[in-house]
Amino acid sequence: MILHILNRSPSASRIFQQALDAMGPDDRLLLIEDAVQGALPQLVRYFEPVIGRLFALREDLVSRGLEGRCDDRVLVVDVDGFVTLTEEADKTVSWF
Amino acid sequence: MAATEIYRYLRVGDRDIPLDPEGYLVHLEDWSPEVAQALATEEGRELTQDHWDVIRVLRDFYTRFEAAPSMRPLVKAVGQALGPEKGKSLHLMKLFPDSPAKVGARLAGLPKPANCL
Amino acid sequence: MTRQDMSAIPNGDLLVILRHGPHGSSWLREGLDAALVAAAFGQRVSLLFLGDGVMALLGGQQVGPLGQKGTQPMLEMLGMYDIETLLVDRGALVERGIGVSDLSVTVSLVESEDIANVLAHHRQILNF
Repeated sequence: MILHILNRSPSASRIFQQALDAMGPDDRLLLIEDAVQGALPQLVRYFEPVIGRLFALREDLVSRGLEGRCDDRVLVVDVDGFVTLTEEADKTVSWF
Repeated sequence: MAATEIYRYLRVGDRDIPLDPEGYLVHLEDWSPEVAQALATEEGRELTQDHWDVIRVLRDFYTRFEAAPSMRPLVKAVGQALGPEKGKSLHLMKLFPDSPAKVGARLAGLPKPANCL
Repeated sequence: MTRQDMSAIPNGDLLVILRHGPHGSSWLREGLDAALVAAAFGQRVSLLFLGDGVMALLGGQQVGPLGQKGTQPMLEMLGMYDIETLLVDRGALVERGIGVSDLSVTVSLVESEDIANVLAHHRQILNF
């Protein structure tokens, strides 16, 4: 399992599509920095193929006032959860 | 990248050739066989035909790829140009003890190889 | 490369993903540098060109208007470092109207649905 990490908003950049194309069936996607906008119910459709394996970093949601506005299907993790995700993965790949 | 810092000068004939702190040419266009000879003499190295063959391979490599080779591609390039007998790291270690890629690049007037310990 | 022969994807120590074209930024050059360093230390390295990264492979590149070095000599040098596995996203070529015959080096085409497989086949991945 590969942990993919995305830091660009899906409404501003098509990088998310490269990340999705590169994801295997068990791979996970973590949204950080500007990418956490993708956790909003209005934007989460971009990540439809990986729902259930889609995570967003709590700290980046909080700092943007987006915590509590996330789509229910997005799994919110804090920095400790980020570390756990990294430990559970064979390797990590950053998309920026 | 070619170093730009002039550390000292090497006297070759009536010219002073600027060198960087590690003995590489500051201006790559300063190179000539006489400069190579002077660098070798300074380091107590005697240049045989085998040495000159490798120096030519190094300069051809730089012309083609705009970079000085590390050991692995140097071995390959020497093998392609001079035959498999010479394309061996042992052969190159004998010619240029210590570090063939670095010493060779210095004598051939190339920048220091980047991908090399 | 077709879906059927994905078993032919070589396992490697390092996969370097290149997603930027030449000249606009230093990403391409830095990615190629990383690949060369790894290969110089005996790692088995593959390259994967995605998105704008395929622009790196176009023939006929020149130095930049300010004399910036191009990346074509670096690409040609890959073989000297025994980097022979150059994988290219077919969709990225099609999207840009680039044919295999327009490329300056020999590559293997990868279908979009097989990209994940390529990542899985390598022990480490660097994304540029």
